Amino acid sequence: MARLSFAVIAALVLLLGAARARAETVVVWHAYRGDEEAALQAVSRTYEREHPGVTIDLLAIPHDAYSAKLGAAVPRGHGPHLFVDPHERLGFYLREKIVAPIGDGLDDATRRALDPAALAAVTLDGVAYGVPIAGKALLLFVNDALLPKAPPTMEELAALVVPGGYPLAYEATSAFFHAPFMHAFGARMLDDADHFAFFGDDAARSLDFVRDLSRAGAVPEEASGALVKQLFVTGKVAAVISGPWLAAELREEAKGLRYHTEPLPIVRATGNPMRSYVTIEAAIATPIATPAARAFARWLASHDAAVVRARRGRQAVTTSSAWEDPQIEADAELQSFREAARTGVVTPVTPAMRAAWVPANQAILKALREDMTAKDALLQAKHRWEDTMRPPPPPASPAPGLALGGLVLLGLAALALRRARAAGFAAELRASMPAYRYVTHAAITVGLLVVFPLAAGALTSLFAGTRDAPVYVGLANYLGILTARGGDLLGHGSFYLTLLVTVVWTVVNVSLHVGIGVAVGSLLSRSWMKIRAVYRILLILPWAVPSYVTALAWKGMFHRQFGAINAILTWLGAEPVSWFSHFSTAFAANVATNVWLGFPFMMVVTMGALTSISKDVLEAAEVDGATRWQRFRLVTLPLLKPALLPAVVLGAVWTFNMFNVVFLVSGGEPDGATDILVSEAYRWAFTKDAQYGYAAAYAVLIFGLLAVSSRVMSRRLGDPEAA
Amino acid sequence: MNDAKPTRFEVVAVHGLLLLAVAFAVYPLLWVVALALSPAGMQGGALPLPKDPSLANFVRVLGGGGGEKAWLFATQTFNSLVVSLATAFMAVAIATPAAYALARFKFVGQRTGMRTLLATQMFPAVASAVPLYLLLDTLHLLDTRAGLVLVYASTAVPFAIFQLRGAFLSIPVDIEEAAMVDGATRTQAFLRVVLPAARPAIAVTALFAFMSAWNEFILAATILSRESAFTLPVVLQKFVGEHDAAWGPFAAGAILVSVPVMALFYVAQRQLVSGLTAGGVKG
Amino acid sequence: MMANVGVEPRTQAAPSAGTSAGETPVPVVAEKPVRCAVRGVTKAFGTTPILRGVDLEIREGSFAVLVGSSGCGKSTLLRLVAGLEEADTGSLWLAGKDVTRLPPRDRDIAMVFQSYALYPHLTVKDNLAFGLKLRGTPAAEVASRIREASAMLGLDALLERLPKQLSGGQRQRVAMGRAIVRRPSIFLFDEPLSNLDAALRAEVRVEIRRLHDRLGATTLYVTHDQVEAMTLADTLWVMNKGLVEQKGAPLEVYERPCTRFVATFLGSPQMNMESGVLVTKDGATYAEGGGLSVKVDEDRFGSALTRGRKVEIGVRPHDFVPARSGAAACSLKVEIVEALGFEAFAHGWLRASGPRIIARLDAEEARRVKTGDTLPLAVDPTKVHLFDPETGRALDAE
Repeated sequence: MARLSFAVIAALVLLLGAARARAETVVVWHAYRGDEEAALQAVSRTYEREHPGVTIDLLAIPHDAYSAKLGAAVPRGHGPHLFVDPHERLGFYLREKIVAPIGDGLDDATRRALDPAALAAVTLDGVAYGVPIAGKALLLFVNDALLPKAPPTMEELAALVVPGGYPLAYEATSAFFHAPFMHAFGARMLDDADHFAFFGDDAARSLDFVRDLSRAGAVPEEASGALVKQLFVTGKVAAVISGPWLAAELREEAKGLRYHTEPLPIVRATGNPMRSYVTIEAAIATPIATPAARAFARWLASHDAAVVRARRGRQAVTTSSAWEDPQIEADAELQSFREAARTGVVTPVTPAMRAAWVPANQAILKALREDMTAKDALLQAKHRWEDTMRPPPPPASPAPGLALGGLVLLGLAALALRRARAAGFAAELRASMPAYRYVTHAAITVGLLVVFPLAAGALTSLFAGTRDAPVYVGLANYLGILTARGGDLLGHGSFYLTLLVTVVWTVVNVSLHVGIGVAVGSLLSRSWMKIRAVYRILLILPWAVPSYVTALAWKGMFHRQFGAINAILTWLGAEPVSWFSHFSTAFAANVATNVWLGFPFMMVVTMGALTSISKDVLEAAEVDGATRWQRFRLVTLPLLKPALLPAVVLGAVWTFNMFNVVFLVSGGEPDGATDILVSEAYRWAFTKDAQYGYAAAYAVLIFGLLAVSSRVMSRRLGDPEAA
Repeated sequence: MNDAKPTRFEVVAVHGLLLLAVAFAVYPLLWVVALALSPAGMQGGALPLPKDPSLANFVRVLGGGGGEKAWLFATQTFNSLVVSLATAFMAVAIATPAAYALARFKFVGQRTGMRTLLATQMFPAVASAVPLYLLLDTLHLLDTRAGLVLVYASTAVPFAIFQLRGAFLSIPVDIEEAAMVDGATRTQAFLRVVLPAARPAIAVTALFAFMSAWNEFILAATILSRESAFTLPVVLQKFVGEHDAAWGPFAAGAILVSVPVMALFYVAQRQLVSGLTAGGVKG
Repeated sequence: MMANVGVEPRTQAAPSAGTSAGETPVPVVAEKPVRCAVRGVTKAFGTTPILRGVDLEIREGSFAVLVGSSGCGKSTLLRLVAGLEEADTGSLWLAGKDVTRLPPRDRDIAMVFQSYALYPHLTVKDNLAFGLKLRGTPAAEVASRIREASAMLGLDALLERLPKQLSGGQRQRVAMGRAIVRRPSIFLFDEPLSNLDAALRAEVRVEIRRLHDRLGATTLYVTHDQVEAMTLADTLWVMNKGLVEQKGAPLEVYERPCTRFVATFLGSPQMNMESGVLVTKDGATYAEGGGLSVKVDEDRFGSALTRGRKVEIGVRPHDFVPARSGAAACSLKVEIVEALGFEAFAHGWLRASGPRIIARLDAEEARRVKTGDTLPLAVDPTKVHLFDPETGRALDAE
């Protein structure tokens, strides 16, 4: 049996694993879509024509997986030679050893041809890591039909009257979109020492200013990018703040729309212009970049390539000479992109900046919702940033850990030895032989593919620092988590508070899964039900659609102003609810989504289990005088229990670790209050400065909690086996 | 039960409640459909009615009618199919004998095995993605469909073992014993008698493995590095950018991706009920 | 649907053919009130008729057994009485109350299922208490009834066990206990012994009858086993194809079966059947055919005996006796002798092409008979049954 399976798997591996031999190629990764992707493809083809023998291998990767893929592939030497990315991640990439100096990719001629600010953006400590190719900054998109020309000041713009709509829309709760206001009020995100600086009077006034816009109904509340675009396309808003990407979307989706672009206005209160953060997209070199790759990077910035990228890809290219091209010169929209990029503030490149976005976003959200004053919210953001950027724990001596590990291993060995020497063990082992023929390959598979990676992951919890140069810190990560990093034990983001939320989350969800699943399953199991199959297929539909799509649909349904749920509430005569601004409602939104996703499973399990309950027993209860409800409660339910128990245990474990829903629906809002342990762990790994060790420590703690509680639960529910 | 002839009230109440449940189940999906049918996007309201309905989003997902892109989409569909089928096959092939042994034999390490399996379900995947990548690197399986299948198997196999063990426990031992009395070896009894009896459960297990592989995109995007090797969800995810997302095509793509799964559900719904049952029964 | 609600059950103007047939007048004096009555009940599953107009009466304290081969509708009838199925037409009366449309819990019944249907998640004690608790019986009362039933059935040592920890016989006793504690107005048994082995079955059979006598409970008992039917019943109701074919005291039904079906269904081994005609010999009427020539009881059959009439002649194996010289009704060519010790059965045929015939011999005779012998047999005329070959009805029941 085992041998047969091995053969099958081996065949499978061979069949699928025809690994591709790489020719002499330059591999370039990017996250471009639409016109930008087409332009990049066009210039690559041109380059290949002009340089026979070189193949440019372009790969477009979804943005959501881009960083993770680079982080996994490049250190192992499987990455591309070049990748196109905004410059602001450079600091982080450098720390993770994902980038290498671009060297001759930027020769003197190229340097001279490039916009100096763009060049500076890709240069860290005097070393350039990429060839800048385009700048992107926020600007004003104006609907011609509603506003032929935007007024010079933000105040005037906000005072316009748009019947049934708004004068202005933008993603007000995002720090990136708030930055122009911040700059207009003289505040900034980081100071010269790269410390969080988005607090104090100026910063607070910038927030008060946009809060007043919101209060006055000049901007829609909590607009997402999709909503902003939507309002603009449907003529509900006169002007929106967005970037060149909006133009690309509009070309695809709203061909008939007449609009123009303008620079961001001035804030009259300070007299300062609204300067956007500028992102410089660059072709960045990885450690395996070849001379051919650097030559291609260089060529990307050449006049010819830049002209194509500007014309076809609608990019505000950083190559100055391209702008002398008559067609580009006459292109008002492109010129406005360039102008915005030139007048903006180039985003700082340090990892400190990466860690600043999340606290800043939350502070803005809180100030706009008026949960706190702008000042307090910003001060809190500063503490959050400091918490994230706290110095890594000091290296610990591995000796105690190794000694302990050794002792544990010795103990296990001793135990195994004792067991082996115990009377009858040999006979037991011999009796086990037939079974081993059936389980060996599964044991190897699970050991190799599941246990080993998990154990390796668990071990990283003992380390801190970058993935490239981890530092052994002993139990410092655990200590940090369990002491809430020295903060309030029940304060924001503390392990205990999150644990409490997670437990409530699990209990509420599983109860509702079981409750609704059993109720619907029993209703469907009525013997007279004729169209059971129709109901059944409709009810399991939530299962069939990928949850990353449906979760987003739910998030949209819970939108304060435009969501379907509030539309229904209003229709019923109730007040609309700001779902994500309170813990209870945001939690409820998450629960609704997760219950929706999970009840079909319990329903199907229930329907199956119901068929195995003897009809006689139910009839006996009926003869005994039980009403329908009593039969269900006293006979059906207790008899369903053993069948439902494993499903409940597994369901509880899955819910406990249900990252998707929390992350996609509430995103932890308000202020991380609805985060559960696993989404917290994810934040530490991916949005809070890549503290993988810390995240792994979270994962190990989650594992420990689940292991202990499932044992307790199984024992108390009288299931000796799972214990 | 005396529900052979329900009262009118009961019929109305039961159908009413079920329709409520159906509304709950279908309503969000109708939004996805409406969004997919609205090339200019849509907003607001209680009813998911598409705005200026057209199939433009679907056309865009399918490569805008261009031959090369449509061909690419077909290739990627094929990738998805191969990877998902292989995952389902591997999960069932590995899990079935192991689950059988766990259900029927007594052996040294059995309890440890079951506990380890349960434990693997508890460990958040956050920490294991990087080691898995390293593992594939060592095996030279990066950027291959086989590698992706192995990664998917890492989640599919433990669940399949659970599920199938439950199924085997619910099959009476008598039928194997009868087969063995009739002269079958243990293996023959397993292959000829137990496996056919467990068919619904195996079908459901395979369906689950298929579905999880069919919908996954982060690992696929991380492991695969050629566009012609991408699976459908990776392609779909490309409609979501850093600052902007083309939700219409995204929704249209999601629907296209879901159609085969829905079809499988439709075909296998009977097995789904009996197969999952079995998973639940404990010995 | 027959509107019967609120009308006292009375003998219907046109009683169905089934019941009238074999009914023998019962003395009016000793009659107890009717506890359970079924009036003209029909039931079909889909287009398949299961019950085709059944009437049934059980008097208080009496033990009624519904017997018939599988598929005759006896279990369906029981389930109708229990309220687990609803009649298409007709009415059901329990203790003078029309219960046709009442749910089981309002019928004051208890039932013992073939599968016992014990609640697998409850202990024996809780199984017994279940119905009482549902009715809000005070805890002390529940305890005392359980004690009583448990003592009666010998369940004391099992009270804390779960059904899966019990043997078949123990489960059966718990199922009976569950019915007993309820003190219902009628006990319903659905083939309660069919899952037990033969020895246990005999034992429990006696126990059931003893319990009945002790409790004086009205009982409706369904079985396909004729031994149970004969030994347990006060009144036997033989069902066939959705109709009651005959009712009466067991011995009466046994001795005067009113149809060929009843005649062959009751009795083991089966009644022997031969086709024949009625002839007159020496002023007496004989039934002759297939090597058999038996005198028939003219008092019993009366005017039904017309010469030359084709009949089916039925003789039970036990009613053959060895013929004294010259008086043989037939000669059995013995093929095999089954000796059971206290008696024996000789299998053989009367004529080479005739049907197989079985005759009972006593142990003594059996010793003398060997395979190949020709055995002269006689029959007491009162033990000869005659049936119409077309209708299957007994000539005395026409």
